[in-house]
Amino acid sequence: MANLVIDNVKKRYGETEILKGINISIKAGEFLILVGPSGCGKSTLMNSIAGLEDVTEGRILIADKDVTYTSPKDRDIAMVFQSYALYPNMTVEQNISFGLEMRKVPKAERDVEVQRVAELLQISHLLDRKPAQLSGGQRQRVAMGRALARRPQLYLFDEPLSNLDAKLRVEMRTEIKKLHKKLGTTIVYVTHDQIEAMTLADRIAVMKDGQVQQLGTPQEIYDNPANLFVAGFMGSPAMNFIPTKVVEQDGVPMLELATSTTVALPFPKPEALKDYVGKTILLGLRPEMITEPQPHKEGQPFVTTTDVEVEVTEPMGADTMILTRVNDAEINCRSNPMYPADAGSIIKMMFDTSKAVAFDKETGRRLDL
Amino acid sequence: MSNLNSTSKTAVGRKTSGLDKVLRVALYTVLIVVAAFYLMPFIVMLITSLKDVEEIRTGTLLSLPASLHFDSWSKAWSSACTGSSCGGISPYFMNSFQIVLPAVAISTLVGAINGYVISLWKFRGSDFFFAAMLVGCFIPFQVILLPMAQTLGWLGIANTTSGLVFVHVVYGVAFTTLFFRNFYQSIPGELVKAARLDGAGFFTIFYRIILPVSTPIIVVTVIWQFTQIWNDFLFGVAFSGFDTQPVTVALNNLVNTSFGGKEYNVDMAAAIIAALPTLAVYVFAGKYFVRGLTAGAVKG
Repeated sequence: MANLVIDNVKKRYGETEILKGINISIKAGEFLILVGPSGCGKSTLMNSIAGLEDVTEGRILIADKDVTYTSPKDRDIAMVFQSYALYPNMTVEQNISFGLEMRKVPKAERDVEVQRVAELLQISHLLDRKPAQLSGGQRQRVAMGRALARRPQLYLFDEPLSNLDAKLRVEMRTEIKKLHKKLGTTIVYVTHDQIEAMTLADRIAVMKDGQVQQLGTPQEIYDNPANLFVAGFMGSPAMNFIPTKVVEQDGVPMLELATSTTVALPFPKPEALKDYVGKTILLGLRPEMITEPQPHKEGQPFVTTTDVEVEVTEPMGADTMILTRVNDAEINCRSNPMYPADAGSIIKMMFDTSKAVAFDKETGRRLDL
Repeated sequence: MSNLNSTSKTAVGRKTSGLDKVLRVALYTVLIVVAAFYLMPFIVMLITSLKDVEEIRTGTLLSLPASLHFDSWSKAWSSACTGSSCGGISPYFMNSFQIVLPAVAISTLVGAINGYVISLWKFRGSDFFFAAMLVGCFIPFQVILLPMAQTLGWLGIANTTSGLVFVHVVYGVAFTTLFFRNFYQSIPGELVKAARLDGAGFFTIFYRIILPVSTPIIVVTVIWQFTQIWNDFLFGVAFSGFDTQPVTVALNNLVNTSFGGKEYNVDMAAAIIAALPTLAVYVFAGKYFVRGLTAGAVKG
């Protein structure tokens, strides 16, 4: 296992800059997820770590060794590709042992290693098959087996689950997490699926436009997004952004919320809003912080109950999403399915602003960090 | 072919209407007429080659031979006169093989490597390189006759079998590159990336991973090149020496050499013999040819 340091890495194709100075460093055994919308540079960064693409500037260190100009095969890296990239002419066994063969591992040792990996991934019965004879989930396992067989210092996963159907994706996600716990390997994992990012990562790097927007643990990123983009990207359904006017009550900045009535919501860090009194900011509030009135929360600070008009409800089984409108913005609320909420009716909802965040309306900058 | 299959499959589902039947009959009629039209010359050649000279002169083109005469075939093969020598076309038949086999092998291999590089190891300017290569497909044979003669002279291989092999390889590489490039375009680049991370080098990847999945396109290329080079006349007549003439040139000489009456039966037999190898290639590999042209994609 090895640590990985990405030191101010830049990548340019002619005039366009794909990576604009990436700085990430992870400890040995850590599970790092690179997440971001398509075109954000996450795959380019991944290929740069693997050595499949050259970087224009900066350094990449694996196990404290500078590998910036080392060829892919000498970096001791294994990669799982989105398309699995299994060699179509070889059996599963040959696929898994190809990397070992290329590194001149004797046949007897290769066989032992193939057996070990096959048992670990429960694909022993598939060893004689060709990739074309496997299902999507089986191919996925073989692709992982091929990576595991070499016991490299660093594993790279490039959207490995995006070709699987929804159910299998969840299963394989858990498998990967178990595998990481069991083997304690260092993993860099690219995905555009923020749920995968949340569930798998020790740390997440949210990327956009060739820059790391935020690097932190899943909970940090969820609770404390660095800017409007991160806040909107992570979480499903997404965080509500409510344009709100900052008003001063008894010298304390509060947030004005207009539904059928108008109330003022308290904010955990009111001092951060001092300069914005009289102006409009974006209030960020996760759907689960807007619920039906819950008796145990009654009377707590930062909890406000007010009337809202229900536009649409979306029952999801465990919860029901209620779509409503405040300050002329559509917002999602997460309520108990038992709570009566018919479309068009006016109901009471509880706004918990203890974890609310605030953003500048123009720049998307976080105001209360 | 796949088109016909799919229409017949959908036709099973619904009730066949009268119009469908009429259309189907019309379709088959057209197909049969076209097939007959294409087969006719071959049939005429075959039956003419089996008649004797007397019967050809008196009978009609399409009448079947009264009795079968195979001596025109043996004469065409071993004793007919092509110009001043009278040993049939068999020596030239062998010449053709000596030209075709190495030329096909080399041009196919070079095309495979070119295609591999252009589609899977893209480098700065590889697209331009490919475009330039494509232009080669559109250069008429006649244009390169003089410069090629000069080049062969410089290389010291004028009028030799090697010279002809060289010409055909150079001219064929544009096509073979195009074939292989288009085929490899459908192979995911991740395959090469995975192999590189596994520690395989340029030629190992080519030999261990890319070539084994290339069978369809290799067959297509071999058929194409074999037919082109075997049937070539212009390069053969321009660049061959007296002893290195390919069979197409010999056939021409045979037909144009006559003492007394024209022996059409010998001409026809010689023409069929000259066409047999390409025919055989199609019969044996034709299935792959169609498959290779239509499929192309590697799954998995």
